[in-house]
Amino acid sequence: MMNERLAGKRALVTGGRQGIGRGIADRFHSEGAQVALTGRGERPGDLPAHFQWYGSDVSDGEAVQVLAAECAEGLDVLVNNAGVQIEKTVLDTTDADWDQLMGANAKGVFLMCRAFIPKMTKGGSIINIGSISGTTADPGLALYNASKAFVHGLTRSIAVDHGPAVRCNAICPGWIMTGMADAAFAAAADPDAAKADALARHPAGRFGEPSDIAAMATWLASDESGFATGQLFTIDGGMTAASPLNPGLF
Amino acid sequence: MMLNGKTALVTGGRGGIGRAICERFKREGATVYAADLSAGGSLESGDAPRGFLQLDVTREASVKAAFDHVAEHSGALDILVNAAGVEIEKTIEDTSLDEWNQIFAVNVTGTFLVSKYALPLLRKSNAAGGASVINFGSYDGFIADPGLAAYCATKGAVHALTKAMACDHGPEGIRVNAICPGYVDTPMLQSFFEGEGSGGDGGSIDSLQQAVRDVHPMRTYGTPEDMANLVNWLASDEARYAAGQLWVLDGGLSAQVQQMKL
Repeated sequence: MMNERLAGKRALVTGGRQGIGRGIADRFHSEGAQVALTGRGERPGDLPAHFQWYGSDVSDGEAVQVLAAECAEGLDVLVNNAGVQIEKTVLDTTDADWDQLMGANAKGVFLMCRAFIPKMTKGGSIINIGSISGTTADPGLALYNASKAFVHGLTRSIAVDHGPAVRCNAICPGWIMTGMADAAFAAAADPDAAKADALARHPAGRFGEPSDIAAMATWLASDESGFATGQLFTIDGGMTAASPLNPGLF
Repeated sequence: MMLNGKTALVTGGRGGIGRAICERFKREGATVYAADLSAGGSLESGDAPRGFLQLDVTREASVKAAFDHVAEHSGALDILVNAAGVEIEKTIEDTSLDEWNQIFAVNVTGTFLVSKYALPLLRKSNAAGGASVINFGSYDGFIADPGLAAYCATKGAVHALTKAMACDHGPEGIRVNAICPGYVDTPMLQSFFEGEGSGGDGGSIDSLQQAVRDVHPMRTYGTPEDMANLVNWLASDEARYAAGQLWVLDGGLSAQVQQMKL
């Protein structure tokens, strides 16, 4: 059933090529929004015609200016989803890793907000994709964890500094089954045992899907959430409500 | 001698963590009342009359009598540690109303009653850094361990009570904080391990304990002395600006996301 909860709204989703970004875009479209996506490079071949595509790089200040000139005017919803993950501790991380990861995950969100806030419609909604890893640490993901904590902090600042012109919230996904998670299980010593263990840590009894994040994003994009700003919304199937001790132990 | 000249009362003072706190306080120069249901063995030298104090934190008459005793022998109180606590290993479905009331009586009502009757003596403290109340919360007041529902709820209540007390009594020169331990090697933890039998992996209690240690970034769980280290600081004048906070001390356990076996 289509509720058309976003009828008449214009939305832009960064990092929309795949995974969570694409899931949000699909749902926004089904709710009646006019949706544009942006990502580095050419328009994906499988992207349905109802989506506009802007080839752009959120970590590039000039590219973001060009993007804002093309599509920020009158935009109702901005989803800052673009991000990269580098699996390294601080000791293994190079300067180039820093530039790449913080460029997309931290500077990219800053550049997009700076360029878009002045041009968005009054009461527009900015939805940043944070992470449960921005609050508690995933091992071996040092800069990723830190970059998401940055996103959480910037989310609050934007809400405080630029309300009521815009609302700004972050969604903190847990384990969402995307290509990234599939690769992690495939690399485990015993992929089946790893998957069973991970599943046991989810009170919801399953892993997340991009549509779970899209459901929250839809609410935050809609007028239903008009009083929600400056907050972090965790969608993780209950995982972080539990102690990190292996539930199989007890 | 960080607590020289101070007078302290520790509830649960004969328990695993409470006992370590009492011993540390004494080494730091404090006069210590170790309050508990029973002495749990022979009284230590120099205990009486400022030593073991029989106290049932759930009974108002017992609490009142204990502070009458402290008033008579010391006249004022600088440090109160609400360390008395119990644990029930059940989900809400398996918890009877009596069990629910009992754990709340000790962990929450006990903290309330003891603090209430300590206040007149705490106001008489001349400590340069203010009088200090240290409640026992838990990391389980933030995130849940399975099968500990009522316990988790009592610790959440203690956290909120800590902030409320800090707000209400800070202006009177009384600092109120909570420490929130993770896994600490105490009789309570050992009984928890024994209750769990061999654990989920068919191994021994030893292997269960090792598995629990391995989940911690510090690769061990805490000792009562680790808890006493922080309680001592919070009790001292060094902590004169610390109030209304929940101090997690868990070897990094709750700083991490779930540790998947990848």
